[in-house]
Amino acid sequence: MLTAKGKYGLKAMVHLAGLPPGELAMSADIAAANTISKKFLDAILGELRNAGLVLTRKGKAGGYRLARPAEQIMVGSIVRVLDGPLAPIPCASHTRFEPCEDCNLETCQVRRIMLEVRNSVAQVLDNTSLASMRANDLGLLRDLRRPA
Amino acid sequence: MTAALSVIIVGGGASGVTLAAQLLEDVTRPIRVTLVERRDRVGEGVAYSARQREHVLNVPAQGMSAFPDRPEHFFDWLVERGLIGPSERFTFVPRRLYGQYLWSLVAPALAANDGRLTLAKASAVDLVTSGRGVEVALDNGTSLVGQVAVICVGHEEKPPRANGVAVRVGSDADTDLDPEAEVVILGSGLSMVDAWLRLDHSGHRGPVTVLSRRGLLPQAHRQVTPIPLEAADVPFGTDTGYFTRWFRALCIEVEQRGGDWRSVVDALRPFNQRIWQGWTVEARRRFLRHVRPFWNIHRHRIPPDIHARLGAAVETGRIRLLAAEFIGVEAVGTRARMQYRPKGETRTLSRDIDRIYDCGGVSVDVTQSSNPLVTALIARGSARPDALRIGMDVTPDLAVVDRDGVASARVFALGPLTRGTFFEIEAMPDIRVQASLLAERLKCRSDAP
Repeated sequence: MLTAKGKYGLKAMVHLAGLPPGELAMSADIAAANTISKKFLDAILGELRNAGLVLTRKGKAGGYRLARPAEQIMVGSIVRVLDGPLAPIPCASHTRFEPCEDCNLETCQVRRIMLEVRNSVAQVLDNTSLASMRANDLGLLRDLRRPA
Repeated sequence: MTAALSVIIVGGGASGVTLAAQLLEDVTRPIRVTLVERRDRVGEGVAYSARQREHVLNVPAQGMSAFPDRPEHFFDWLVERGLIGPSERFTFVPRRLYGQYLWSLVAPALAANDGRLTLAKASAVDLVTSGRGVEVALDNGTSLVGQVAVICVGHEEKPPRANGVAVRVGSDADTDLDPEAEVVILGSGLSMVDAWLRLDHSGHRGPVTVLSRRGLLPQAHRQVTPIPLEAADVPFGTDTGYFTRWFRALCIEVEQRGGDWRSVVDALRPFNQRIWQGWTVEARRRFLRHVRPFWNIHRHRIPPDIHARLGAAVETGRIRLLAAEFIGVEAVGTRARMQYRPKGETRTLSRDIDRIYDCGGVSVDVTQSSNPLVTALIARGSARPDALRIGMDVTPDLAVVDRDGVASARVFALGPLTRGTFFEIEAMPDIRVQASLLAERLKCRSDAP
């Protein structure tokens, strides 16, 4: 499930996607506009920077901007960086797998359906760009979503 | 009944033959395929004509079918002919058998001589399109007309580096060699392994130096099952550094649980093209420069027994690994003088040797291609190099993109030439999938005359 980190990270990225070209945003401004604690946001932006999704510039005129045009950044990339493999419950991840103590892995019907859920989640998130996520407000989603 | 769609396939190597076989599979479908190949036998290409017994496939028999929906097809073909036993799935068969297999896929259609498959024994030198079709000019002065052309010229047969002082193994310039001669092989990939096997087989005893940027050797295959991995697990769209760290951590984790890194490398395979496409041009360039040497030795592996022989030769000093940058080579009498810069050093050293083999990588600047059709198309602007210039620019649907960025409706490319868009499109398991996507799309075309 999407954690608070994932949620705030997405909000910050949408914020950056709305900047005029060439402009940078200070983390304090992003935090204030989206009611996120600045300390938490700095940690989130640091991780996004490590993954090559945002760029930073230090100094007085410094701040954050997207590393690529918003059309080229998929929502799924952001969520995986912040929350790890897409998985509704821990046992439905292959790489961050954590078995439940009380279930039989092979026969658990809950796990089986959750494995299907994660594939559908990946489908949606990997075919939605940051640009189309932002445009959702404007009713443009259908035009901007890439064909599956 | 609609009239037959006519497809001209340029190049009768593994990619071209696989596409032809898939297009012709349904015998009730009206289609006319012309295969343009200058060699006597189609299917052999650059890769599968090796005559030597030890030049085996670098992929086990179970992975080499030409049909993605029937992965056992090649394995069954071998078993039916008694060439391997029914339990020998993890067997590396001689490459020439694969050439014969590919030939067997199209031989019946050729023999039927009913117009569904025609062989044009020539080289294509140019290609023009009009509103109604394509015309492929051949080096014998004639031309072929069809509705669609697919360029399947696979690996580049570029001339060896350094003004002919370096030679290609098995070429005319590769004259008989004194068994005690000092030999240098440029490159440490699968071609180097082939070159060394050939030397070893001919009884060569002199020192063999393998020069490559990192001084690495390909790893051995092992029979392991890929770990379960799905798109939801893979961090698409992240930078190469981040991605590489994720991948290494996963390998270490799997090894700590008693698993094998190969099962992680193999599990990633279905996603490799998508990972590549999720990277920016800059990220792709960084990958080629910094990660590819390590990726290649783990991804493009060799049969375990050959790996063991190679390891023993390194151990006993018969092969010396030299991590260095190759600067150049000049002829000095009957010998050659090579300049190189050891890894991490600034000084340039020189060494006199008897023979230098060029087994460098297959990726070259496509505008310098030795294939006349590729250079003609690029020169006229009907095609353009991809952003990294390692192949021809194509859409994800394999349509050739022209100088102005417009995708052709009639000209397509398949196989290694499309590596700028797909990266991993050198091996059969990838080529057969790409061929079948294109075959399905071509079968659905409605522009038959």
